[in-house]
Amino acid sequence: MHCFLFRRPLLRAALLLAPAGAALAQQAPGAPPDPARPSQRLAEVRVRAVGPERYAVGSQRLELDSAVLAQYRGATLADVLQARTPLALKNYGPGQLATIALRGTSAQHTAVLWNGLNIQLPTLGQNDFNLLPVGATTRVAIQAGPAAALYGSGAVGGAVLLNTDPDWRPGLRGSVQADAGSFGLAGGSVEARTATPGVAVRVAASYREARNNYSYELREARGPARYTLQNAALRHQWSLSPDVAWRVGLAGELTAAAWLTDADREIQPGAYAAGSQARERDQSRRLVLGYRHVAARQQWAVRGAWFEDVLNYRDGDALSNSHVRTTQAQAEYTVAAGARGSLRLGAEAQRFNAVVDGYGSIGVAENRAAAFALLRYDPRPALRLSANLRQAALPTGLAPLTPTAGLEWDLLRTPTDSLTHSPIHSLTLKASVARSYRAPTLNERYWLPGGNPGLRSESGVGYEAGLRHRRAWGGGTRFETELTAFRLDVDDWVQWLPSASTGIWSPRNLRQVRSQGLEASTALCHQQGRYQGSVQLAYHYTDTRKTQGTAADADPVGVQLAFVPRHQASLSTDHRWRDWQLSGTFVFTSFRYVNASGTDFLPGTGLLGATLGRTLRGPAGTSLLVLAQAANLLNLAYDSYPSRPAPPRSVGASLRLGWR
Amino acid sequence: MKKQFAFFLAGVALLAACSPSHNEEPPTPAATTGVFILNEGQYNAGDGAVSVFDKTTKAVNADAFGSANGGAKLGDVVQDMGVQGNKGYIVVNNSAKIEVVSLPDFKTAGTIGGLHEPRYFTATSASRGYVTEWRGPFTGYLPGVLSILNLSTNTVSSQVTVGRNPEQLLALGGKIYVPNSLDNTVSVIDEATGTLAATVTAADGPSSMVADKDGNVWVLCSGFVTYLSVPPFTATRVSNGTLLRFSPTSPATQFKLTFPATAGPSRLRINPAKDQLYYSFGGAEYQMSTGATALPTAPFIRRSFTGFAIDPRDNSIFAGVSPSFSGNGRFIRYQATGAALDSFTVKVGPNGFVFY
Repeated sequence: MHCFLFRRPLLRAALLLAPAGAALAQQAPGAPPDPARPSQRLAEVRVRAVGPERYAVGSQRLELDSAVLAQYRGATLADVLQARTPLALKNYGPGQLATIALRGTSAQHTAVLWNGLNIQLPTLGQNDFNLLPVGATTRVAIQAGPAAALYGSGAVGGAVLLNTDPDWRPGLRGSVQADAGSFGLAGGSVEARTATPGVAVRVAASYREARNNYSYELREARGPARYTLQNAALRHQWSLSPDVAWRVGLAGELTAAAWLTDADREIQPGAYAAGSQARERDQSRRLVLGYRHVAARQQWAVRGAWFEDVLNYRDGDALSNSHVRTTQAQAEYTVAAGARGSLRLGAEAQRFNAVVDGYGSIGVAENRAAAFALLRYDPRPALRLSANLRQAALPTGLAPLTPTAGLEWDLLRTPTDSLTHSPIHSLTLKASVARSYRAPTLNERYWLPGGNPGLRSESGVGYEAGLRHRRAWGGGTRFETELTAFRLDVDDWVQWLPSASTGIWSPRNLRQVRSQGLEASTALCHQQGRYQGSVQLAYHYTDTRKTQGTAADADPVGVQLAFVPRHQASLSTDHRWRDWQLSGTFVFTSFRYVNASGTDFLPGTGLLGATLGRTLRGPAGTSLLVLAQAANLLNLAYDSYPSRPAPPRSVGASLRLGWR
Repeated sequence: MKKQFAFFLAGVALLAACSPSHNEEPPTPAATTGVFILNEGQYNAGDGAVSVFDKTTKAVNADAFGSANGGAKLGDVVQDMGVQGNKGYIVVNNSAKIEVVSLPDFKTAGTIGGLHEPRYFTATSASRGYVTEWRGPFTGYLPGVLSILNLSTNTVSSQVTVGRNPEQLLALGGKIYVPNSLDNTVSVIDEATGTLAATVTAADGPSSMVADKDGNVWVLCSGFVTYLSVPPFTATRVSNGTLLRFSPTSPATQFKLTFPATAGPSRLRINPAKDQLYYSFGGAEYQMSTGATALPTAPFIRRSFTGFAIDPRDNSIFAGVSPSFSGNGRFIRYQATGAALDSFTVKVGPNGFVFY
């Protein structure tokens, strides 16, 4: 078990472009020492590529712990984020549309990248986090704050980074899991990985269904009335994600990864709406091929990706179908800049081919391209700097230029512990400033009627500064606290509004929005004998308001935006003793307005969850994990969205058979 | 003494349990200063509401039904409201029901269910009401229904099939006139028999009706815009709007005024003296005398509204403004001359007014 705040990707990424001698002397994490095969050892170090996060100096980054991800393996990204983080999601119900509002921004303002490629639905420009099963990826990180120079369009409020990293540990390991729970929840998953010195393969697959036929109470004029939720079943949801990595020579790595998802959902109607049979089918097929060449002082990489996204909605006889193919290519070259820096230059191109009912009978094609330069420079080990730049070209012209600058400065840094190589006590000042943009979505440009081909990109500028304090004691106790203050301004914010003369809804660049807030987190980890435990506490204060709007934009200025809670806090605690594991989570969300006027609101909620598990060791490296999970333990009756009652207390159980 | 008190209590309980006599006409309420504003709400959010505005104190109770009934929600998409005696009948379209309330306190007095896409309501007595209902999905509407309601039991007593998408009905002289907005007809239902008496051919898209001081029926027809039934749903105007007038005695003899093709007219209203018509056209509100022989060319109020009504008590004008459905709307008061007085915030999507 890890204490997630301690997992700084920086440490891993720093290996490559440090002076060559140092790189050769170090070992990549997870690589077993093998003195008999020094060349193999070198290769492992050398093919470990530098991730873009190395250039995100001074940004707030949260990486979900792999042990946490394992607990939520049968669930979706929406489930794990809502249970474990103080991030705001707008969720229409269990398994229903769930979108994120990072730092108070809208659903289109968070870029979601899978293995470095943007997987936002090109039509809507957003992702449904209930369509992203957790088990498909091996690493989930959230970088808050604008990061368009690194992640391109949409990284206005931040970016969610999903990665499947090759596991080069030799041998075969894997697990099979079965899940069952309240309200007809049933599912299963399998994960298997194997590696030889030359090839690493991983396959993950999952299936899930749920009837979601729970009961809820409505306050009616004649008194409280109880109903059973109708038309809200998750009929099926499956995910298949194979990936493979080949070593080519000493410096090359060829990777191929696919991710296929398919979900068939009934669409939960409003509690006051009379009968609905709405259903939605979402299918995504994603394939990425990549090659990278990593030498001591330089590396280059190319990637090609093919995505296909299907979203078919049906309500009775009324259909709305959409099908988009996305082709993407990326190339980047990274070179050491002196002994203390590295420079990355790159370019990418995207092509969308959409056949969408709402666009008319002919297909729509759109091309976008971007070039970027990323610079990391550490004048001293205690002072790290980055400066990045991206320029995107869109069909309507150039997107706003998006530079970024970041700084991390260790104000306090005690000598390194010789055993763990980590500082025992450090205090780091961090700051960054970044511009961002969001390209208009295909729906915004091409929807008939109302699409606005002349829509400008939204642009954002963000500032953040904070402190990170780490303390480790010899025994096995670590403590980390991070405090970040941010301010984010988004201009040309797009709203759909009906035209006064025709009544046709159309998107326009209407307003400016300012979001400012505080993010605090603290984590304590302790290890003693066969006990490992941790407590994480996080709090977000987010104040997001429209600051200015055009005459057509009637929503009031100065009111907290809808569905952005001012206060969110999460507490999670994980304990492991011998073969037992116990986790508890509590997430508090303050009230949030449900429209722009700041009058109607959803009340605040406090949701408690718990997990209890025991691992039984079997022969030949096998093990059986028995997990019991409960959500909404306080049985709070609440709406996750106006007129969408959320599930009451629910329980679930999982059995996982593993081998290694 | 104790025993007598118990008898007294039992008597009160008996009285309370007695259902009101079916034939009793409720007393006409005393003149008040209330205005009910119907707020449609966000589709599927269940936040439709009726706001109450007091003209004397200028106070607004944003959600009268909720505050009178322990926070209960009225439902999804408040479409229309009718008043009969001291009862209010609120048509909640997407909840497929009519909420019945006592007036002026808005306490619940029952629910009329068994409806499907209810649109507009009218009542002709304390026991007889009518509601128009649509049938079929938007991809292929079917002939709609006029449901005849028993307001004593709050049930549907019978149904008459009318044309497609029946809208704002009119009760006049023992007849119910139902404009079928997806056809070119007005269905005429005989009150006494509850059956279809005649079908009057009007113009394309009849949607709202009023009766003038001479007892003539005015029908506003929006004209047709066809949308390709398959995407891109391209809109083409195939017929212009029409304002027509007929006498109930000879409905086939019609006086017709045709609108330009630039837009479709909607929401026909009449002043309390029943000699001035009002309608909206192309983002503005127009006023026309019932004696006019041509459509007015200059707007009365150059503004787009989502609701428009004239207070019969003082001829003042109430107009609803819904800039977006993501936030609260408001209503503006105008003098009878069209000069703006003041405005008040209500809830999402104000689309109609009832004066009580």
